[in-house]
Amino acid sequence: MPELVMQSPLHAFGLAAQARAIDGTCGVWANEMPLLGYISLRGDPSNSAFTEAVAGVTGVPLPLAPCSFEASGGVKVLWLSPDEWMIVCERRRLANLSRGLVTALKDTRSQVADNSGGYTQVVLQGPNALDVLQHTSVYDFAALAAGRVVGTTFGKSSVYAHRAGDGFCLLMRRSFADYIWRYLVRSATPYGLGIAALKSQSHAGDGVAG
Amino acid sequence: MTDYRVRHANARVDFQRPLSFSFDGRSYRGYRGDTLASALLGNGVRMLARSFKYGRPRGIVGAGPEEPNALTQVETGGHTIPNLKATQVELYEGLVARRTSGWPTLEFDLKSLCGPFSRFMPAGFYYKTFQNQALWPRFEHLIRQAAGYGTAPEEADPDRYDHSHRHAQVAVVGGGACGLVAALDAGRAGLNVILIDEQNELGGWLLSSPNTVIGGLQAEPWLKATIAELQSLPNVQVLTRTSAFALHDMNLLLAIEQLQDHLPISERSETKPRQRLHRIRAERIVLASGAIERPLVFGNNDLPGVMTASSLTTYLNRYGVAAGKRVLLQTSNDYAYQGACDLARAGCSVVLVDARARPNTTWEQRANIAGVDVRTGCGIASTIGSRSISGARLVKLDADRNAVASEGPTVECDVLGSSGGLSPTVHLFCHDGGRPEWDEGKLAFVAPATGRAAAGIYCTGAITGTFGLRAALAQTQVVTSALLASFDKSPVRDGRDIETDEPEVTPARRIFRIPDGKAEGHGKKAFVDFQNDVTAADIHLAVRENYRSIEHIKRYTALGFGTDQGKLSNVNGFAIAADALGKSIPEVGTTTYRPAYSPVTFGTLAGGHAGDTFEPRRLTAMHESHVVRGAVFEPVGQWLRPQYFLRTGEDKEAAVRRECLAARRGVGIMDASTLGKIDIRGKDVREFLNRVYANAWTQLAPGKCRYGLMLDENGMVMDDGVTACVADDHFVMTTTTGGAARVMTWLEQWHQTEWPELDLYMTSVTDHWATAAVVGPKSREVLAKVCSDIDLSPSAFKFMDWREGTVAGVPARVFRISFSGELAFEVNVDASYGHHVWEALMEAGSEFNITPYGTDTMHVLRAEKGFIIVGQDTDGSMTPLDLDMAWAVAMKKPFSFIGKRSFSRSDTAAPDRKQLVGLLTDDPAVVLAEGAQIIERPEATAHPVAMLGHVTSSYFSAELNRSIALAVVRDGIRRRSEEGRKSGRDVLFAYASGTTHKVKVVSPVFVDPKGERQNA
Repeated sequence: MPELVMQSPLHAFGLAAQARAIDGTCGVWANEMPLLGYISLRGDPSNSAFTEAVAGVTGVPLPLAPCSFEASGGVKVLWLSPDEWMIVCERRRLANLSRGLVTALKDTRSQVADNSGGYTQVVLQGPNALDVLQHTSVYDFAALAAGRVVGTTFGKSSVYAHRAGDGFCLLMRRSFADYIWRYLVRSATPYGLGIAALKSQSHAGDGVAG
Repeated sequence: MTDYRVRHANARVDFQRPLSFSFDGRSYRGYRGDTLASALLGNGVRMLARSFKYGRPRGIVGAGPEEPNALTQVETGGHTIPNLKATQVELYEGLVARRTSGWPTLEFDLKSLCGPFSRFMPAGFYYKTFQNQALWPRFEHLIRQAAGYGTAPEEADPDRYDHSHRHAQVAVVGGGACGLVAALDAGRAGLNVILIDEQNELGGWLLSSPNTVIGGLQAEPWLKATIAELQSLPNVQVLTRTSAFALHDMNLLLAIEQLQDHLPISERSETKPRQRLHRIRAERIVLASGAIERPLVFGNNDLPGVMTASSLTTYLNRYGVAAGKRVLLQTSNDYAYQGACDLARAGCSVVLVDARARPNTTWEQRANIAGVDVRTGCGIASTIGSRSISGARLVKLDADRNAVASEGPTVECDVLGSSGGLSPTVHLFCHDGGRPEWDEGKLAFVAPATGRAAAGIYCTGAITGTFGLRAALAQTQVVTSALLASFDKSPVRDGRDIETDEPEVTPARRIFRIPDGKAEGHGKKAFVDFQNDVTAADIHLAVRENYRSIEHIKRYTALGFGTDQGKLSNVNGFAIAADALGKSIPEVGTTTYRPAYSPVTFGTLAGGHAGDTFEPRRLTAMHESHVVRGAVFEPVGQWLRPQYFLRTGEDKEAAVRRECLAARRGVGIMDASTLGKIDIRGKDVREFLNRVYANAWTQLAPGKCRYGLMLDENGMVMDDGVTACVADDHFVMTTTTGGAARVMTWLEQWHQTEWPELDLYMTSVTDHWATAAVVGPKSREVLAKVCSDIDLSPSAFKFMDWREGTVAGVPARVFRISFSGELAFEVNVDASYGHHVWEALMEAGSEFNITPYGTDTMHVLRAEKGFIIVGQDTDGSMTPLDLDMAWAVAMKKPFSFIGKRSFSRSDTAAPDRKQLVGLLTDDPAVVLAEGAQIIERPEATAHPVAMLGHVTSSYFSAELNRSIALAVVRDGIRRRSEEGRKSGRDVLFAYASGTTHKVKVVSPVFVDPKGERQNA
């Protein structure tokens, strides 16, 4: 049997091998945060049994304000719609978190669905990061405040975007990742695109190595 | 060659930086800062085009986007661009341009031979001549050869383009004096401002009018100070070489920025875009787009050397080119005087003919001092010359009416500029539903000074008919104060004076067409629209032929079409039409202003939507596995799916045949990851499924799967798929690949709007699961090699069961479902493991020669079993009963289900609807065309022939070694019954592309009708 290897959606681009510490040579730096855990969560935000159970398991208060997210302890919870959230965590915590949520929500009207194979995140920073995003989407990224997450267009596809550190983090579906990455590369080429070394290959949080 | 350069200090060209370029094969010299047009004029090039219809010699008329004649083909090969206006092409070293008209040569144009016969080519010539349609095919080729201008490149476009979505509080269109003041006011108030100007530098008309004094400063230092301050404001972005070409609803302003067109091709960056489309959403928009001078209409007014007066001024002051030595100017207003004075001071002999009996006395004095010979109360009846103007015949005009009072002298000249007044550039204002208003005092269609403030559209300066600079600047301050007030801000002005040195503007003479003393159509041709060869007589003819609406007159004569969009011709055309119709100009109105204001390249509109990012291509986790195995991909929805896998020496047919036989007789493997998958959880999922599917779900136990048909409200099949029960409150639904998003939306809509009381939530998990379908008699043996924790025996793991287990070391859900009718297992894993599991299955199957197959083989296999593909065998008008799938409808469910009620509609319940059947051709080698029409008899006996249905799917079946087809046929189910066979109604004909084949209507299940294989 072939060796058991997981592949992230952008595996074919071999980004890890091209990654280097950010310097002044490129206008934009990007990379994929590969192989994190993604849990789709649905439920009623007005039901405190639901919100408290979720917060109890994740250790992160469930963001209830539209277009907001909360992150701590390596777990990030993104508000996607009034009754829908995405929980992002390290892969190694996925099983426990997923099982914990299902157990805690057993008697609560809700849904927990492991979507880890279906999503990935791309981080983007650098002096021209905002210019690049302006090429990709109608959204006014300059107006995107820290702590907010928006679902918007990306080329002819879509992403969820939020600010991360000095840059941006884009959450996208696996099957669209190839298109989105190519569109990002095309848009970033005029400014010079570097593949940024990640802080940690398994970290669910927000950063690339400074 | 004569040098037409006037080297003065105010010129915006750098005489220290000569550039060489070529036009039509000849080399010339120009200077940095020139346009192609100014450089050509500087070299004395007059004729550079032939006219569209009559092949008449034509030269440069304008100095900007209004230019109708000087369309040039710039550069060669992949870089070539057709029909650029020479007036808008910035000169660079080595520029290569060619003419776009004149065949075989510019000097001798075949079309010009038609000149003497032009009376036989009036407006509407084509409509009239080709009413006899039989003539058209014979002449079409010739006419198409003669028509048109430049040629499109045949090579791939080597340039990059992109889009930029911009957001601003204020967007200012036009970088002339008013636009600059508006941008500065808004910028100083701290607003986020984008200033857009079409030219290579800011300044607008001030660049053509360097001696203008504003607040004690000459134009150049005033501009320098203003621009420097704008550039010092970080909240102000200035986009030059950027043409705002459309204004849409919700203040969406589209502008095209030329980033590299002004650079020699060798100096252009390959990584940077050539052009960029800015999509600007601005809370407020200030239109300070100025005005364009329109010429007067007179006989032979299209000779090379006849230009607008303002363009003569621009060429002199901005580009240092006096387009002639002996200048004749014709005006009806004050605006031509400044240029006349400037030209006279530059050493030209200048005759200024003013149609007014009493001109502006201040201007008359200034002109006299400058040495201009001013003739009042006169007009030019016609020009003299063949390839270039050599003089003009004047007439004395009646003081009250636009009629000839007496003949006048002939004046020699080598260039003629005319001014019929200014036409405000109202286009953007009108794109968004606004209409311009006729201002009889200004003789112009103007945008209202109030703009559309409620929508955030402000207008200032010449666009509103405020043509004087002092008045326009004062107006701009008022407008920006109002604009700032809408942001709760007030202007910060440094008290700098906006006084100018202009004389007061005096009224113009109301004249558009200068009379020549003859009835329209009897004198020299007087052109209104140069690009389309439309004369004043053509407009009169259209009116005589009873065209009353200006929109119809436009389309009959071609007035205002083309790359200049009538910027010079429209108002003259409207006025002449009004005259012919005996109506006022406001009664006639304008034609509709539509985007684009000036031509936009396709590349820019496409932007990044090109090449590998033209469309999203959704890839599965196994994509690389398919690539290395020679997959030929096809788009399905936005997914890229293997269509078939080519081996060396194979063609498509051979590959599909090999793949089909492998799946039927050995083992095949298919990537089914693209099917939509929806995880649904909650106490009421069963009830929900009962309502959204036609069949019943109450009894489906955990570990079991069921096929369902999803119907729309009309009872028509809209999707199908297998749903598995994970637990009593947890199901996983699959949908068709293309229908996934639609089904998800559909389900959410019904749940959220109609049945919110049902306890359930759903989430798309399409991308999470990678699915490998292992198909064929050997599939159990293959799976057994990589899966030890599921009992795969037929008794323990039955058809339509699913099990959770481990495949190739990875947690998996395995479904015993089949879209081929063979024994099959669909292995679902977290897509991160998709590639690994696929490769493990390939390795496990190697001893059985496991064969990956694509969608082509999938189609054949399912058609052999009579399995439908929604959207191919159905078209939104097929019920389950039409598909002979009554078994998938449960009429007795307590709540009903979507679509049920519609079954009782008379048409839906009719007995002879089109129904799904199989077809077998008499000749087993004939594969029918999909879409072939089903008819009763081989020969048509009466027209129209009754259409009984059509072929929906048609393939060659390797398993049966013959062709098979599915079709929808009227009353098809009865035709294929015992009764139909006996009566011979099962014999029909399939017609496509002139060929008819005899077919027999049969059951759509061609292979294994008892289903023994899938249950094995």
